[in-house]
Amino acid sequence: MPALHHKVVRQVVLTCVSLFAVTASYAEIAVVVHPANNSTLDKNAIERIFMGKNTNFDNGRAALPINAAKGSATREVFNSAVIGRSDAQVNAYWSKLLFTGKGTPPKELGSDQDIIATVSANEDAIGYIDAAAVTSAVKVVATFQ
Amino acid sequence: MKYVKLFCIFVGLVCAFSSRAELDISGYGSIIAGKTLGTVDDPINLGERRDEVFTADFYDVGQYNNDITFKAESILAVQGVYTISSELSITAQLVAKGVDDFEPEFDWYYVTYRPNTDWTFMAGRRNIPMYYYSEFSEVGYAYPWMRPPANLYWWQITQFNGFHAAYSFQLGSLNHTITAFYGDERDEENKEMQYYEVLYGNTEVYRVDEFWTNIMGLNWVIEGDFFDIRMVYFTNDRDRTRYFNDGSTSVSTPFSQTFMGIGGAVHWQAWTLLFDWNFVDYDDTRGTEFPTYLISLVYNWDTFQPFIAYSKADHERTKVPTEDLEEHKLWSFGVRWDFHSNVAFKFQFDHFTDQGYAPTQWNYHGDARVISMGIDFVF
Repeated sequence: MPALHHKVVRQVVLTCVSLFAVTASYAEIAVVVHPANNSTLDKNAIERIFMGKNTNFDNGRAALPINAAKGSATREVFNSAVIGRSDAQVNAYWSKLLFTGKGTPPKELGSDQDIIATVSANEDAIGYIDAAAVTSAVKVVATFQ
Repeated sequence: MKYVKLFCIFVGLVCAFSSRAELDISGYGSIIAGKTLGTVDDPINLGERRDEVFTADFYDVGQYNNDITFKAESILAVQGVYTISSELSITAQLVAKGVDDFEPEFDWYYVTYRPNTDWTFMAGRRNIPMYYYSEFSEVGYAYPWMRPPANLYWWQITQFNGFHAAYSFQLGSLNHTITAFYGDERDEENKEMQYYEVLYGNTEVYRVDEFWTNIMGLNWVIEGDFFDIRMVYFTNDRDRTRYFNDGSTSVSTPFSQTFMGIGGAVHWQAWTLLFDWNFVDYDDTRGTEFPTYLISLVYNWDTFQPFIAYSKADHERTKVPTEDLEEHKLWSFGVRWDFHSNVAFKFQFDHFTDQGYAPTQWNYHGDARVISMGIDFVF
């Protein structure tokens, strides 16, 4: 019986690991800017722009951050990997600022295609999309999963 | 309903006359039901029993007793921000509260001028930036608990008309914002002060006016990637007029009040620590002081945030030392569940212990155990 028990546990663990691996590979995101944007953007700089703590790129131009839709898989990965907080925590952070007149959350766009269209047309825009959806119209500055 | 019509007209005019219609509508709300669980010896009408009464909202006198109610702290608010130019905007919040039978009122209205990214100027009606949560205490979605601990957020004045000048700057990786503010609040027919007259059986008093003038002070917020700290200091003059049924009035001796505090949030892995320490000091003949504090720990587990909070409020007199005054503590346990992208369900149990001195009836709140649950949302 102990052998059977061991086998079952092993099967469960393997199933969990494979499920996790599938989820992780699906959810790789790419942070994208206009191809002409030459500013340095590490994880901390991206986080500060999306939390409203930096309003400019390091090239001096005003940054226009664009969020994916609430509840989307890319937004969840972005909040967790870049901001280091859950969707709920980030939404709560912005509701405090919005309803006290101290900040406005990033604009939201509904699809990766909409984000690519906006970022490729606006030199100041920065967004994130599913890494598999990247096209040559935008420049990838970082990937996260 | 007058205000709803006014707001619709305002929105209509803005849409009709603005070529770019830069009006952003958003809002927040809470639908919360609750009740207390038992009865206590009435601290004021000695020898009688009464329901446990828990005051969830002191300013609006939103209370729970043994009967389930949705009215104590349910609220619906719509915010309109009309952007005139990149520097200038007008903001208004129309707020409907259960304690007012959902009669909507314009609680916030102010103009914002942002000449550059460093400076922000605001003028109009806003909440006084007292405690850490004071400015957004009604935005339930912005914090894990059902409400900021009610035994600290007990003041009869929460809003004022005034001016704010804020300067933001960055030092290393820290963002700083220093805000200076100045204004007045002249609240005729103050709800909370009138409640105390009724509570103590002063039936001859039919109205109390409360004046906080020359409200003048500073907020300093320091934000890092994993924490934020807020310091506050302000002073104001205090006056009060009571109106009696026989036509007479009494004016209390004016004094000035000093409010100071430090509060913040620290995020460490899945944990969030929230704290706020405050100290209020009157320059009255008794040397009245109110030291209060709050500490809370939240665990962020996927869409769930179980939490625990402890808050303590005390009342002291340094010029005539005595312990025979108001004192209470509050333990809160609960969970927030973000089951939808902009809606959270909350469940909370509160245990309020009145440690006030019974012979002087400063234990007038009485102990209370309360269950509350509901949803907070933003749109």
